[in-house]
Amino acid sequence: MSEDTFMGAPRDKIDWAPTIDYTKCNYCMECVKFCPHQVYEVREAEEKRLIVKNPNNCVVFCRACGKTCGPDALSFPNKNETTKKIKEIRKEMEQSE
Amino acid sequence: MSKSYAILPCNGLDKLAGSLSREIALRIAEQTGSEIICPTFYRVSDVLYNKVAAEKPLLVIDGCGTRCAGKLATEKALKVAAKINVAEESKKYNIKLGSSLRLGENELRLCDLLVNNILKDELEDKAGQEVKDTVLMPAEIDYEIYQKDKFVFRLPKEGFYFNENDCWAYVVGNKARIGVTDYVQKSLSDIMFFTPPEIGSEIEQFGEAGAIESGKAVFEIICPVSGVVTAINDELLDYPEYINDNPYEKGWIAELELTDFESDKELLLQFEEYVKIMKRKVDEFHV
Repeated sequence: MSEDTFMGAPRDKIDWAPTIDYTKCNYCMECVKFCPHQVYEVREAEEKRLIVKNPNNCVVFCRACGKTCGPDALSFPNKNETTKKIKEIRKEMEQSE
Repeated sequence: MSKSYAILPCNGLDKLAGSLSREIALRIAEQTGSEIICPTFYRVSDVLYNKVAAEKPLLVIDGCGTRCAGKLATEKALKVAAKINVAEESKKYNIKLGSSLRLGENELRLCDLLVNNILKDELEDKAGQEVKDTVLMPAEIDYEIYQKDKFVFRLPKEGFYFNENDCWAYVVGNKARIGVTDYVQKSLSDIMFFTPPEIGSEIEQFGEAGAIESGKAVFEIICPVSGVVTAINDELLDYPEYINDNPYEKGWIAELELTDFESDKELLLQFEEYVKIMKRKVDEFHV
């Protein structure tokens, strides 16, 4: 088991990361300060001063940065769909072994 | 007469949720004889509020996820008796807050609901809930100990299942008790508030089974199993610090009647697998 997998499935095959709603984000950067996994990157010189740089660093099912967000600008995929997808990936892996 | 609180509301004047926090505080104060602590003044000087904060149960009202009032309570080392987060409640009741800073019809409707909830909770407290926990836990748990600097992480060696989100389940028959691991409580440090899952609610595997909160963060409890909540550890409502003392024993979170454990089990880890993940996380992230 390595950090490149989650529940036995390759992390890059699991779609789980925050999406920033730029119409709501006020660039307070609370999410950046909170997340220890370098999911976000601050780009001071650009119009979008915050981006999701490393979506695969995001811990699957974790929505903790979203709970720090005052303007509620962060959203995440549906958990049930994600669980289903992980099960499918594992099944495919078993079959190909 | 309902319970009289010391109310510490958010005072966010640049957000509608902040204005709503203020209105909720005013109404509860009017109906219960509670006293309001002004967060702005409290930050400057605590002399005026020390007495009321020490004598009355504290009700924290946060407007949004920034949790200014909750963080202030942590800074002042206050024990939180009850809590409202306006933004979360607006989602829960599906009442959208407007874009003006003035309170409109929707906001006042949400205000009525939240004030009534606080007054009603008081009545329910008195009635007492007769839901009891039933999962028989081992009399003594054998722990693996992993130490990093001055921090000691315990992990039960037998009988517990874990998910990669650092939550555990102990299964007996068709029931499970769930909780968080030492990694969670140590990362959060002093836990000051427990939001339990609702008894009778159905939770999918990896769904949210309540939350715990410290000055650092809000941690969503990611349920390792699917099932219906049959009991919560109501001691944590008064003593959330039990989770820091021991999250596997008196700091357990809830119990569920399982709906599909055979399938859930495929995505759970046993001690040998989880201990490696926990050690890696401790080495990489714990500070």
